[in-house]
Amino acid sequence: MAYGCNNEEMNTPTAPVDDTFEPAQATLLSTGVMMGNAHTVSGTATAYDNGGSKTIVLDPFSTQNGPDLKVYLSTDPNATDYINLGPLKSTMGKQSYPVAGMPDLTAYRFVLIWCEQFSVLFGKAELQ
Amino acid sequence: MLRLRILLLAVTVMCVTELASQAQGTTSVHKFTDLDFGAGNTEGTLVVSLNIDKGLGQKRKIIIGFGGRFNAYLGKNQYFVTAPAKLTSGSTGPGVIFKENIEANMDTFLVKSAQLNSLNLFLTLGYNLSERLMVRFNIDLIGFSFGKSVTGNYINGTQGKMEGASPTSFNLLLISDNDRGSLNSQFFARYLLSEKWGIKGGIQFLFSEYTTDTEVQQFPEPNDRFRNKSLLFSAGVSFKL
Repeated sequence: MAYGCNNEEMNTPTAPVDDTFEPAQATLLSTGVMMGNAHTVSGTATAYDNGGSKTIVLDPFSTQNGPDLKVYLSTDPNATDYINLGPLKSTMGKQSYPVAGMPDLTAYRFVLIWCEQFSVLFGKAELQ
Repeated sequence: MLRLRILLLAVTVMCVTELASQAQGTTSVHKFTDLDFGAGNTEGTLVVSLNIDKGLGQKRKIIIGFGGRFNAYLGKNQYFVTAPAKLTSGSTGPGVIFKENIEANMDTFLVKSAQLNSLNLFLTLGYNLSERLMVRFNIDLIGFSFGKSVTGNYINGTQGKMEGASPTSFNLLLISDNDRGSLNSQFFARYLLSEKWGIKGGIQFLFSEYTTDTEVQQFPEPNDRFRNKSLLFSAGVSFKL
């Protein structure tokens, strides 16, 4: 029973990423500052409308490593109702996450870095 | 139904053999109280049981019995998946035991800190290898569960939400995923160190089940039952009554 969010077996890649998403070709919808929650997370989360589909971009971005880290778009910081944008690509660097469907970003206004296996919030940004 | 028929047959055999041996003045009923601990990866059980075993045959080596069992389960970060056989296997007949899960129908309910308790009646089959060494298989048949309510992460592809849940209250052994609630089964060897005391070792296979506060799964049809299956190493002590 010694597993926790410091378990290194399932950690997120640490090599910096630099996704090719081009903000100049998209419409900025909202943005928020990433803040850690008992873990060190920093950067900016931004929502874009990219030709009718929505994308969340983390840039700049850095987080403390952990297992099974996911990017959630949530109605609150507790992931009460959320859309899973997928596994966090890296602990560092610019990364983009397409949003499935057309959620209302005034309702789904929190970007969460969420350790899914252990139900732990690493960091959050409120999109405004 | 098949297992219920086996149970009825077993009870009938016990009654008949008991009456026969009483008529001969050679009853061979033995009672044990057992305390077991089960351990797995980030999960475990505490099990207390009363076992009533009946020896069959001339040498009383073949055992049939029954008993009552309290199971307490504790698990960290456990994944409970869609439980009803209609969803997991696409049918509810006896053939579900041979069917693969339909992955598209399987949703997940992730519980950070699961704690369920159950109180069940069980059936035992066994064999006495010697006066001191015996092997047993038992399986819970019917009972009820209780425990604290939890909030878990319901995961359905890219969608998810936090949802409240409680242990499924009624337990009933049927066949495979047709089972309801929390049911334990054990395969173990017991060695008597003295006339009264013995030690046990073996495995437990435990079904644990939560019912969510709402039918959180909607496709392919509404569902509120989610099951965790645990294979645990088990060790314990026995006291012969």
